[in-house]
Amino acid sequence: MIQLIFFLTVGVLLFSSLFFLARRKPRPEGTSDALVEARQALSSLQAGLLPEKLVKRVFDRGDWEYVKSEAPKPVRQLFLEERKRIAILWIDQVRNQIKNLSRFHRGSARHYAKLNPRTEMSLAFSFFGLVCSCRALQLAVSMAGPYAAPRLVGAVANAAERTCKVSEQSLAFLNAAQLGMLTNRAAGSALSRG
Amino acid sequence: MDVEQATADLRNRTLSEIPRSLDRLIYLASMRDYNTGLYYHDGLASRFTQDVACEALADCHREAFAHLVACSLRELVDQMEGYISSTHTSARDFVTAWKKLEPYRVAVPVETDPVTAQLLFSSFKIALAILEARLSSRPAQQVA
Repeated sequence: MIQLIFFLTVGVLLFSSLFFLARRKPRPEGTSDALVEARQALSSLQAGLLPEKLVKRVFDRGDWEYVKSEAPKPVRQLFLEERKRIAILWIDQVRNQIKNLSRFHRGSARHYAKLNPRTEMSLAFSFFGLVCSCRALQLAVSMAGPYAAPRLVGAVANAAERTCKVSEQSLAFLNAAQLGMLTNRAAGSALSRG
Repeated sequence: MDVEQATADLRNRTLSEIPRSLDRLIYLASMRDYNTGLYYHDGLASRFTQDVACEALADCHREAFAHLVACSLRELVDQMEGYISSTHTSARDFVTAWKKLEPYRVAVPVETDPVTAQLLFSSFKIALAILEARLSSRPAQQVA
């Protein structure tokens, strides 16, 4: 009887794994979607999220000093809540884009770029380290506010920038014109998938 | 090349008269058609072409936005005070209207990074709260 229950449980587990695998969205490995997604992640990081000006503004202690000296308690509270929200949004976006890039490198980079194993390994470690650092930073900010870990903010931003540079080399073959073409193709395939 | 000339023309003739980034942002956003996202400026279009004028206005809009995002909170509050006094409306009415309508949300250039846009909206919200707190600590006759 116990054996029967055991085999039935294994069977159910195998069947559910098969079911979830079959229902999973097809990953865009080796397709134009993957390339476009990676290029967009890279430009979002480099042009949108990582520029020093933005990082400085989000985590600038000077604004807090100003609010402390100028505004009553409810405004100070509003300021801390708002900056915490923005800081978490920034960390979330950086982590998501890093994950997008990492997905491309895990699945598709080898189809397009000839990275040596050492670079691939170093990239893999960088991605993993960055995602972990983002998690740690998010935890620190959630618990202790936007100014909880200024060094970690700098470390995450610098590490993300370095990773982007290495990743950029593997996407360098994709110029603007090709990207436009691929974006259209990716949009077309997305439409046809419905 | 034409776009660069048009941008320089816009900066020299029009934007040089508008020193604050906040005023520039609002002015340039008002040049944009909400239905199409295209910018219109008759004078600039007559000297160049409509397409070139549109691109020059979009460039200047992005530039004004970037300047404003880079401002510290203190600078943003100062810019808002300057802007309020240039509108000739009562500061209280202005703060109330901006808190309700949040007009700055439609002043953002297209394709702005969402985090950057959210940061600016949040800074506006805090700046308005600071101005409101200042107003309520002042006697009513000094406010208008």
